[in-house]
Order: sequence, then structure tokens, then C-alpha cells
Amino acid sequence: MAMRELATGAANCDPSASSNPLGALANALVGSSSKTQERLKEIPTTTPAAERQFFAQPEDRLRAIPGSESDQSLLPVNAQGSEFIRRFHAVEHGAFEGAWNDIQQANLPPVPHDLRVGINPQLQPTLDGPPQRVLSGLLHSFVDSSRGGLPFRPAQLPLLGLSEGDKRCIRDRSTIMARHFFADKSEDFINAQVNTLLHSLDIDSDVRGKAPLPGRFHELEDYWNESQGMMKPGPHVGDAWASEFNQHRRELGGPDAWVNSFEQQHGANGWASEFDQQYSQLATVDQMRGVHVPNLAAMEQTRMLAHTLAQNEDPKFQNSKFLQFLSKMSRGELIIDDNQVKPAPGDWASEFQQQHPAGPSWADEYLHRGPDQWANEFAAERETNGALDDQWVNEFSKLHVNDWADEFGKQVAEGTLGDNTADDWANAYNEFWNEQKQQSDGSRGVYVFSDMNPYVGHPNPLKEGQDLFRRGLLSEAILALEAEVLKNPDNAEGWRLLGIAHAENDDDQQAIAAMMRAQEADPTNLEVLLSLGVSHTNELEQAAALRYLHGWLRHHPKYGTLASSDMPESLYHADVSRLFSDAALMSPEDADVHIVLGVLYNLSREYDRAIASFQTALKLKPNDYSLWNKLGATQANSVQSADAILAYQKALDLKPNYVRAWANMGISYANQGLYEDSIRYYVRALSMNPKADNAWQYLRISLSSASRHDMLNACDSRNLDVLQKEFPL
Amino acid sequence: MASDSSATQLKSDALMEQMKQHLSTDAGKAVTKKIGLVYQINIAPKVPLPLPPSGLLRFWFRISVFDSGAVRVFVWQKIGFDEVVYIVDLKKGEVTKGPYEGGKPDATFSFKDDDFIKVATGKMNPQIAFMRGAMKIKGSLSAAQKFTPDIFPKPSKM
Repeated sequence: MAMRELATGAANCDPSASSNPLGALANALVGSSSKTQERLKEIPTTTPAAERQFFAQPEDRLRAIPGSESDQSLLPVNAQGSEFIRRFHAVEHGAFEGAWNDIQQANLPPVPHDLRVGINPQLQPTLDGPPQRVLSGLLHSFVDSSRGGLPFRPAQLPLLGLSEGDKRCIRDRSTIMARHFFADKSEDFINAQVNTLLHSLDIDSDVRGKAPLPGRFHELEDYWNESQGMMKPGPHVGDAWASEFNQHRRELGGPDAWVNSFEQQHGANGWASEFDQQYSQLATVDQMRGVHVPNLAAMEQTRMLAHTLAQNEDPKFQNSKFLQFLSKMSRGELIIDDNQVKPAPGDWASEFQQQHPAGPSWADEYLHRGPDQWANEFAAERETNGALDDQWVNEFSKLHVNDWADEFGKQVAEGTLGDNTADDWANAYNEFWNEQKQQSDGSRGVYVFSDMNPYVGHPNPLKEGQDLFRRGLLSEAILALEAEVLKNPDNAEGWRLLGIAHAENDDDQQAIAAMMRAQEADPTNLEVLLSLGVSHTNELEQAAALRYLHGWLRHHPKYGTLASSDMPESLYHADVSRLFSDAALMSPEDADVHIVLGVLYNLSREYDRAIASFQTALKLKPNDYSLWNKLGATQANSVQSADAILAYQKALDLKPNYVRAWANMGISYANQGLYEDSIRYYVRALSMNPKADNAWQYLRISLSSASRHDMLNACDSRNLDVLQKEFPL
Repeated sequence: MASDSSATQLKSDALMEQMKQHLSTDAGKAVTKKIGLVYQINIAPKVPLPLPPSGLLRFWFRISVFDSGAVRVFVWQKIGFDEVVYIVDLKKGEVTKGPYEGGKPDATFSFKDDDFIKVATGKMNPQIAFMRGAMKIKGSLSAAQKFTPDIFPKPSKM
């Protein structure tokens, strides 16, 4: 829960705000406050306050605030006040940090003019006095209270005239800051501290917690606009931000764009070098800081981290130098000796150097699988979210000096990782990897080749595969095509036909894997894009399906102009189907457009429309067996099983070895409660492709529903002979 | 019926929609007659992984924020998080979204989105799902035992 609050806290104030710059800021802050002890003594416990007095006697007030004695006005009070508040708001430029530093350093450097977040006209009149002094002092003492771990004492303050936006900002930021300051304290203590502070400032402390988590930009955008609107009427601030946001969307919009920019920035070896960098930083940071990290604790922590990372069986991770580093450290092969990471027995560092030029294998993997596929996978499994403010990222990159490893090491030294929140997160993270692992168990993206392939060494496996495919020998064709793509991994046609063969053989996972490779080799192949859209629709992967179908339109020579050239960050079904409706109006004679429309309506479960689209397409292409199957599947999913069976029958007349249609037949009989019949069709499908896992699962359900428990063993052991004898078609 | 945002949809929505229609067919009515129970099914969507505590923030930043400014959000599913509630009423033969208003369901199941699909399509056996913690059960055990993949229609593939 606490983490969620922290996350929401970060989201509340500003989409670009991460706690990381704050973390570094906190370090800087805590590290730089040398006069804290004396300041601590000066915290006012009670400050008689009356609003009118406050504004009438600004000078007196000024003297009453700790930390302000040294602050002689460098700017006119008025300007300084608005400047301070303004900078407090201007978080996306890292100016918040500046504001905090100003609190510490007690002088105001000339502030670069930030036109995007202008001075709040409503705030100005109320800031005639020096309330920023009050605020500064209070925040100051709050920071100081972290030194001794003392409870923060409330101070009575004059009315500061803070706007809702200010309050929200202060609330969220102090919550985050407090977690840095009091990292070693209990949750309750932190909350109490923050509540005291907020109470002093007359800010409700409990408004947080319901806002969206970070990573959903449209929500954050709304939120941002809302908070901007609250602070400041006049649309231009929100507009400016929104247009900048849009610009970023264009630059870094979809997964493709993300990959491109990633490649541009890092080159193909980006991640690997990043990890190398981490290694070197890991090795040197301790030197820089001279922090003594107890070896046992470090071993324990790295063990935990390494364990977590090792859960991911992705070769990228398994082979990463970083993981190797961590596991070596956790096994005690590396020790942190005073200030340096040293190999304990063998010379691991030189080993690393030797391995290094060869290039870590995951970089190869990355290259090999190609950006698009990576993007696909990426978008399918994890939602990408566009850009953060560049400024802010720049801000962060300045902080790279203290690498995270440094902080991590320090945390280890301080023992702060042992608290519950860290454990909770580690667990959540662990579970996340487990989930990734489960998902990567064959489901996505990795093509699995057959063990024994008689076609390896065949002089022209592609031609052989095409022949076999035409003759309807799908499983044989698959073997020949596998031999082809083993020989020529960049043969888009080989991969494409392989994908189609798998789809017809009722194996969508292999079909997707093969089609992704085809798309790598030929990113704009329309058949590949359509096929990927269909397979993802079958697998209920809606976002991915939509992306491929949109890609189909975008790369189509005729309709490409309909789609805007840039990839929107998230596609909406209504938009895409509107584009295709336009395309259908453009050329009503193009069966392909109607097919894609049919798939799209399947996605949105508008089955009547989908059926109509497929029927239109069938008038134009009456001999397309896969189209008949699509019609049948749509009818079956909208509970018109009897019609579906007729459509499947058509498909099978055209292509007798169409495993998918046989399996679909079985499904339609089963959904009508005709289990005995369904069993025969499943068995027929399986006799043609014993690898069709779905059909095996459905067969099992039908067997038990038909009370044929005597046959369950044969099903579980995949004994087709017995089943075929028992259930002839 | 049509939905605008595909990103927020659950895979289970498609299956529940089909179930709703399925229950009006003869086969569906036979299921209703055979089971005669009310099931509540809670489905956990994908949610972003929460931010780590301060000690791991930099680590998190390393793995999730790139110099380009792109943020990768780790999405996970967790039972009990932002669950979508379905009532599969096999007394009346209805599927409804939202909490049960007719009293207490006979059994309540909690799944992650993907796991519900696996169980309903026979990819994962309910007992195994339960043992692995992929399915949480509340309510009557005998009612829970009748919860088998054959009560759900199977999706056909294009």
C-alpha cells in the first residue's frame, strides 16, 4: 500500500517527476546541510500568527523564521516570493530541486526564465509578504528533523495563501522526500512527520492515494491540465504542455519509435554497454565515495538481486555481465574490499575483459530478433509509455555521477533495505519476473524448431515446402520450410509460409513466432501483417492485434494515405475501424479490406458486422478456404454453431487437410453439447497434426463431458491409434 | 458491445461475452440445469508494478527508464488488485458484470486474467490452478468442485 501511495504521490504532482532525482536531491540536501544542529534549536514551537499582522509586519516575521537570518534579500521581496513559488511549480525543469537547494543555501541565483510555466497571476497579490520565508523555514526545519530522527514539531504559521496546486505539490513532494529522509524509520513515523508538516501548512494529508499510477499518460495529462487549470486560468500553459507532449509522442510515440530512438542512442550493443558501464561504475563508485560496505550484507543483498534477476530465463538476462557480476558477488567470489571491488580468488576482471570484445550474447539476440519483434513483444507484454520531459531526463543524467549502485551500496551499509517496504517490493518484483517467465514459456516470440528434420540438407527446401503446402501436407511442409529458414534465416517468404502453415495447423503460438520473423525480414509485407493481426486476435491479444491491422493499412500502397504516418501511442479500436470503413468505401471491390474489417469487428465482438464483412469478402473471393474458416469461427463465437459448421464444411471442401477447420468443427459440436461428435473431429484434427495442443485439451474436456472416462488415458498419453480406432469419422 | 479502448480490455471479457450468449443456447441451458449454482469470478487485470522503496529506486530507474526518456512500465497481474467481478449465475443462466445482488454466491474464484483463460479453455486443470495459487476459492467446496472447464464455451479460431 505504501508503495502505491508513493507511486501515486509521484504521479500526482507531475508526470515527469520520478522519485529518483528527488532521491539524489535528498542526498544532496542532507549531505550539504552542515548547520543543521544549530538550526534545529531554532525551530519555533509556536509562532503567534494573525494574517493581518503578518502582512503588516513582514520584517518582524522575517526575523522570527529560522534560517532566514542569513537570507538577506537578494531580490526584491515580491519578486523573490513569486520566484520561489514559481520554481516550486516548475518541477518539470528540475527547478523544484533548485527551490529546495535555495532553502538550503539561502541565496537565490538568477533564475532562468521559464516561459512555459508562467508566473501565476493569482498568486502574486497574495505573495506581497515573504511567505516563502515561512515556507522555507518550515521545510527547512522539517529537513533538519531528519537528522536526529526527532519527531517534527508542529509550528503555527500565518496563512500562506497557498493555492490548491501549491498544496498538492508540497504534500506530494514532502511525502516523497520524507521517505528518503526517514528511510530507516517506520511507516507510521514517516506519516506522522509528514502529517505534522502538512497540518502546519493547513494542507489535507489524506487526499492522496486514489490517483492513477504513473505510466498512463493520458490520465496524467488530464491531471496535469486539471492542476494547471486550478492554479491558473488561461489555457496557454496547458496547451503548451500538451503540444509539447504531442511532440514527444511523435518523437517517441509507438514501440517502433521507441526502438528506433533506442537504437539511435545506444547502437545495437546499447544494453550490453550499459551493463558494462554499470559494471565499471559499480567497481568505482565505492572508491569515489569511500563507503565501507560490510561484505556480508553486500553479499546478502546482491544474492537477493541476483536471485531475482536469475528468475528470468531470458538469455538476454542470463548472459548479462551484470547478472554474472551480481551472482559472483553473492557467492563471495567477488568481495568489496574497503573501497574496491576485487575478484576474490581468480582474476575475474581479466576474464571479463577477455569476454568483452566478443560482445555479450544478448546484444546479438537483440539484433537477431530485430527491433520490430522486440517492439512487438515489448508492447504486448508491457505497456510502453511514451516520453518523459527531456529536460527532466537531462536533469537526471547529471545525477548519474552517483550511480544507483552507489546508493544501493549505501543503503546496504546503512541497513535500510531490510525494512518491510523493500521486502515487499522485492517480492512484487520477483513475482513480476516469475510472470514474465511463465509467459515466455513458449507463448511468445521464440520459434521452436523440430528435432529431427529430414529436409535439412535438401537442395531447395523452399520449393519443396511450397509444393508440400500446396498439396495440403501441412506438417511435412512445415519441416521443409523450417529447413529453409535454417538455411536462409532472412527469407521472409520462408517464414511467412511457415507461419501460415502453422496457423492452418492450429498452432497460433508457432504461427506468431514465425510471422514475427517474417516481419523482421520484411516489415511491410501485408500478408504477414494481416496474419499477425488474425493470430493475435485468436489469442485475445487485442492491443497487439490492433497494431498489426493498423500497420496493414499504413503500409498498403493504396490506403496508406488514410492512416497518418506517425504511429499513435495507443490505438483505439473505433479509430482503426473507421479508417478501414473509409478504405472499404474507396474500393468496395477489394476483398482484403473487408477481411480486415471482419477481423476488427471480431476484436470488438461485433459479430454481426464481422459476419457481414466476411460474407462480402466471400462474394469477391469465393474460393478462399481460410476466409470460409474465418466466417465459421465468427459465427461460432456468436453462438451460431449450426451456420458455422456449414462454413467450416466449405473450407474443408476446398482444403481437406485444414487442421484448424477440423478443430473448429469439433469446437462447434462441443459448444452445442454434441460431445461424441466433437470428439471425432478433434481426433481427426489431431491425426493430421498431433502437436495441436488446443485440440488435445478440448478433446479431454469432450471426453469427460461425454462420460468417456475410459478414453482419458489414451488422451493423456496422446495415443492416437487407440483414439482413431475408437472414434472414426 | 463495441469497446473503444482495446488496451483496457481483459481477455476474459471476450470469453464472458461468449458465455453470456452460450447460456441462451440448448447446450447452455443444459449446463445451467446441471450445475444450478452461482459463481462469482474475480479477474485481476494487468497493473503497473508499484515503485520500489527508496533503496531500490535507482535500480528501478536503471531497468525502466532509458536515456531516450521512454519509460518501460512493468506490468503484472496480482490476484486481489483492481479486480473485475463477474457473476456467472448458473441458476438463472446469466452472466453479469459487477457484484452479486442476489445474496451470496455459492463460490467465489479469483484469477489473473490469463489464468482464467487457461482454466476455462482446459489449458490448466482447476485443481492444479488451485494448488499453484493461480486460483483462489471462497465459499462452498462442493460448489467449487463443480466448476470445470466444460461449463464454458470454447472460442473458435480464425
